[in-house]
Amino acid sequence: MIEEPYRWVEAIANRREYIEAQLAPGSPIAAVGYRDGILFLTVGQTRQKLFEIYDRIAMGAIGHPGDIERLRMAAIELASTEGFTRSAADVSLRRLVHYSLSPVMKSAFEQVYGAPYLARMLFAEVGESPNEDLFLRVEYDGEIATNGGTHAQARQDFAVLSGTRQSRELMEAFLKSQHAPDASFEVALNSALDAWSIGHMSLQDGDANGQPERAAILKHRQEQLATRGIEAAVLERDSSRAIRYRSLSDTELRSLIHE
Amino acid sequence: MERSSVAFDQNLSGAADFPALLRRKGLLASAVIPPMPQAGTPQKTWQPTEATTILAFKFSGGVLVAGDRRATAGNTVVYDRADKVLEIDRHSIMAIAGVPATAWEMARVLEHSFQFFRRTQLQEMSVDGKVRALSKLLRDNFGLVMQGVGVVVPIFATYDSHPKPEARLYFYDAMGAQFEAADYAATGSGSPAVRGILYYENNWGRKPLHKLSEEEAVSVALRALDTAAESDTSTGGVDRGGKIYPIIKIVSREGITTLPESKIAAVFKETVA
Repeated sequence: MIEEPYRWVEAIANRREYIEAQLAPGSPIAAVGYRDGILFLTVGQTRQKLFEIYDRIAMGAIGHPGDIERLRMAAIELASTEGFTRSAADVSLRRLVHYSLSPVMKSAFEQVYGAPYLARMLFAEVGESPNEDLFLRVEYDGEIATNGGTHAQARQDFAVLSGTRQSRELMEAFLKSQHAPDASFEVALNSALDAWSIGHMSLQDGDANGQPERAAILKHRQEQLATRGIEAAVLERDSSRAIRYRSLSDTELRSLIHE
Repeated sequence: MERSSVAFDQNLSGAADFPALLRRKGLLASAVIPPMPQAGTPQKTWQPTEATTILAFKFSGGVLVAGDRRATAGNTVVYDRADKVLEIDRHSIMAIAGVPATAWEMARVLEHSFQFFRRTQLQEMSVDGKVRALSKLLRDNFGLVMQGVGVVVPIFATYDSHPKPEARLYFYDAMGAQFEAADYAATGSGSPAVRGILYYENNWGRKPLHKLSEEEAVSVALRALDTAAESDTSTGGVDRGGKIYPIIKIVSREGITTLPESKIAAVFKETVA
């Protein structure tokens, strides 16, 4: 039956709907560039969601743990073999995502007899200055969104990921208005946490439209942090060390949060 | 429908093993099995050719690893600024005696293996695991060694935080056997002289090696390398004219420090020259 073109389109549409429903409860992840690097942040998951891929590349993902694992492993293998055969400087996030991950995810998505990858991923690569930072969001169908400037949007120094489109757009709107690329770590941390709260509130109350009130964000944040932990990692801009990825513990971040 | 072979290897068995991944992708030579000797053919005897001197010992501040700078091919000095003391990760050093091409590749494989393990398995490889990883690389290389090329005899120094924080020092033979050194280790053509000096210092010197301060340790290392260079043409020692000093690195709880040349020069001037 799939041989008929319109059946195929229908099958793809069903599959998209199914995957979107599966990803919808996925808790947001915010990645923000700041003066000394890039901060990745999410709150309170039992499962680790932020990962080191290579010296200057990190990844955050939501979706099925098995699929995330396969994609994560593939990304690390590709980056590591490239870094080994050539050099760490030749490992590029742009090439990794555009030439390897995206085509494979797209074909898995469109082969309607096989299983698609149930995952949405956010990658970042730290540059020498904030305007060289690269953020890429990769969808289950291989679609790529970048932080780069296009005719429709200005260059952004952040990227976010969430379960629903509405949640993601609210987070993006918030960061667009609140976040500056030369912010200090402390400021970036608080913006990321606010962005997470906004995204999370939207997931919990899907009907709400527009940005929530400042007081509501703070209240939500406090409630969530009372029972859950912060998961965070940075890619440091400091070039004295090859490996820029460092995960941060919940305890070292708590004192920097503005109540 | 098959997925792109470029990106996805679905074989997850041994996913943490970087050398195995490189071999699957054809990026690392397979282990060579030594050829069986044929009856009646003259046996080629294997000549050890680790022309260099590397030494390491534990002192009060961790482990000191030192190596001369000379690289030779037969009677010829090829290079007088070779770096044979290589940092593998934040707490591990591999110092090499032997064929540079093989040794540097081994160091590269090892460095990537540790990082690959950490990234994929989300935990640091244990010290025992790291020591074994090098042993396995040597073992895989032994076929080439038997054919007369590519011998490597390294020293591995690292700092272990589990179960108790302590410096650890290992030396290997060309087949990959690993030995943990209690106090010191030396390898390369100049090592007999160095081993004599370190044994003497440790037993009858002013202090046992593990009690030496950093400056005293540097002094012992420089004297030992200079002694080795006195009779071994393959060891550079300290080039007094060219002002080329050995590479000295220290592994401690805080990580690895490379001693600046000025510091080595000062100790050399005061206690050796």
